[in-house]
Amino acid sequence: MFAEIEALKPGTVPGLVRPGEISVRITPGDIVPFCRSAAERGFELVDLTCVEGFDREGRASLFYCMEKRGMPEVLTLVCTLEDESAPSVDCIFSSASWYERKIRDLFGVDFPDAFDRRRLVLHECYPEGFHPLRKSVPNRPFSPRTAIPPEEEYRFMPVEGKGVYQVPVGPVHAGIIEPGHFRFSVIGETVANLEVRMFYKHRGIEKLAEGKRPEECVAVAEAVSGDESVANALGFSLAVEKIAGIAVPDRAEYLRTIYAELERIHSHLGDLAGMLVDVAYPVGASRFTVLREEVFRLDRDLTGSRFMRGAVRIGGVGFDPSRDQIRGLSCFLSDVQERFRDPLKVVLASPTVIDRFATTGFVEPRFIRPLHLTGPTARSSGADCDVRRDHPYGAYADIAPPVRVLDAGDVLARFSLKASEVMDSLSMIRTCLEHLPDGPVIAEAEGGGVPDGYAYGMVESARGQNVHLVRVRDGRIDRYSVRTASFCNWQVIQHAVMGNIVADFPVINKSLNLSYAGTDL
Amino acid sequence: MNGPFIIFALLNVGFVLLISPLFMSLIKKVKARAQGRCGPGLFQTYYTIAKLLRKETVYSSASSWVMRVTPYVCLSMAVVAALFVPLLYVPEPVAGIGNVILFLYLLGIARFFMALSGLDAGSAFGGIGSSREMSLAAVIEPTSIVVLAALAVVARSLNFLEIARDSAGMLFPVSATMILIGVSLFIILIVETGRIPVDNPETHLELTMVHEAMVLEQSGRNLAMIEYAGAIKQTLLIAILVLVLMPFGLVTELSVAGVLFAMALFVVKGSVISVIIGLFESSMAKMRLFSLPNLFIIAFFFSVLTIFIEVFA
Repeated sequence: MFAEIEALKPGTVPGLVRPGEISVRITPGDIVPFCRSAAERGFELVDLTCVEGFDREGRASLFYCMEKRGMPEVLTLVCTLEDESAPSVDCIFSSASWYERKIRDLFGVDFPDAFDRRRLVLHECYPEGFHPLRKSVPNRPFSPRTAIPPEEEYRFMPVEGKGVYQVPVGPVHAGIIEPGHFRFSVIGETVANLEVRMFYKHRGIEKLAEGKRPEECVAVAEAVSGDESVANALGFSLAVEKIAGIAVPDRAEYLRTIYAELERIHSHLGDLAGMLVDVAYPVGASRFTVLREEVFRLDRDLTGSRFMRGAVRIGGVGFDPSRDQIRGLSCFLSDVQERFRDPLKVVLASPTVIDRFATTGFVEPRFIRPLHLTGPTARSSGADCDVRRDHPYGAYADIAPPVRVLDAGDVLARFSLKASEVMDSLSMIRTCLEHLPDGPVIAEAEGGGVPDGYAYGMVESARGQNVHLVRVRDGRIDRYSVRTASFCNWQVIQHAVMGNIVADFPVINKSLNLSYAGTDL
Repeated sequence: MNGPFIIFALLNVGFVLLISPLFMSLIKKVKARAQGRCGPGLFQTYYTIAKLLRKETVYSSASSWVMRVTPYVCLSMAVVAALFVPLLYVPEPVAGIGNVILFLYLLGIARFFMALSGLDAGSAFGGIGSSREMSLAAVIEPTSIVVLAALAVVARSLNFLEIARDSAGMLFPVSATMILIGVSLFIILIVETGRIPVDNPETHLELTMVHEAMVLEQSGRNLAMIEYAGAIKQTLLIAILVLVLMPFGLVTELSVAGVLFAMALFVVKGSVISVIIGLFESSMAKMRLFSLPNLFIIAFFFSVLTIFIEVFA
């Protein structure tokens, strides 16, 4: 890995933050050449975020987090800016565009040569010059602008031509879902272009975390995205444990894995049901919905919360299941496996369902690296990636997940992949239960709190790779940055729907299972 | 206009108005059962219509008179069409009432206004719905005409009342070819009532809707009328299917006992078909929008086959 990094630019001195994390300090002038040669050598941009006051008060530092397929380490380029601007890398890593727009909104760092300089996270109702993640801005409610001058209104990409018309959908939708605006440009029924606009409910989660003690902040991490609460609490805890050097007891590692896999199961079951509802096959969907509800109830019995909030804590887990609960869980799992397999067989043998799923919403493999797609979306388009195997955490080093990869890239591939991942998760939980070690479920708290430092926590949520950057200063959270899989995966929907018909959009959207909340922190 | 015909008119329309919501709920109930849910009560559609009648009607500021007259057009066309299909008692046909082609175009007028009102409110979804409905209608209408033409060839009449008079009192369909027509009519029923695999009446996803998208902007009393018109249309199509496949029970002489018996019998026959519709809907997913003509072609094929058999065999 070090040789690999030195090859990026001769004379570079990589620093080892800790096993698995390598960091390189660069100057603003080095950003573009470094990124270009990293991209040429097969690195992907995993996360790009900003930290204020990293080494100089009031100065912004950019953190370019990268990984390369087959390398266990992640590489972070840290660059402290001289002024409020930085060169854009959006032509090298397409995924950088959203990150840079986000940093511009939240920190006021400008990227003058970026191809898209529109606002992203903070819509027009936020006043110009308001950058809430700056340390000088206090965390308190603000009054939005009500009158927005026409020249400051958001401009969608114009699509014009004979027979092209616009179909605006959202941000308020039918049913109980989150807000997002979809601007379709259609020719008849065929989608010629789709532009997605998110970030209607910016909650200020990252700002909220600042100044909190790490153990308080687990609840903040859980609130990032409702049905990824275990994954995000885990990602956050992993980062804090790295900073503090906490060794998590074995039993807790196994329990964390069980909770994470239960979460994957209920998330995937919801997707499978949702895809069937969206092609109007509720008879197939209802079997999965029932199973999902039963998993929720099991979660509640195990942890007191249907979404397993409070299950993961820094240094371990919050609950130690009794012998009876573990026995009950084993029985439940075998039962679920049986009751999952039969309806799945029926659905996959139904020609009307297959006809709707096959060839619909094709995610081309060429988008995977530039947009850094992860999770089932990437795996069903031929990408062999899974954080659980590539950067193991919890008990995944002992109990490796069988990483399944399909090539078709359509809705059917995502459906089949998620179905087989449910089966895999069930058997992984059973393996965990069989080998569940005895002992404490949480590390002994040491006096003195968490030392200063920063670390990345990476987890595989049901939707893909979630990246948490935590920086602790004086025992408090100084910066908490979260990048969920949805943040990257959202951008591919604009490509996946092209050439499909408008009526197939809901099922394509559901098959990608994108979290609005996880994108809009 | 003669006495028995006036009695027929009142009886037939009144009965259709009375029972139409029941079949709506029954189909929902069957579908819910197939999904393992309890489903709504059998009187739910009555309650829903009553609730909507009491609610305020809201119009989009972009809408014109089209939006305001459409519910009345739809409901009145449905009520007039209810004169054409005998459910209980069959009188002598009067002045073209019962004409198959006229029946089809009464429904066509309602469809036309519905599509206009979908465009009228200026919402993108309404436009999508209207455009889909009209493109499908271009394929459905010729198919419906061929199906009814086949029916006319087999029954040797273009009038539902005459067809009913001929078959009244028979236990089985007039001829075996009627069963082929039954298949076609069933497909027409599914298509015209916007059910799976053509459209999904229960969906909340505007982008997938056909019929429902045109209705999205309707509210209150107007929505109640449109829903009611839809229920009536469904009952009439069920009644045609009943007429073709299960003609027994229709009375040609007026008597209280006979009419009551016919009522009970129609509820049973209608329920059988509603259950079949519910199970049919539960058995498959919706087809791709552009593959829908394939379904109509099946109806078309069966009808043409019927005509060939009748003419050449």
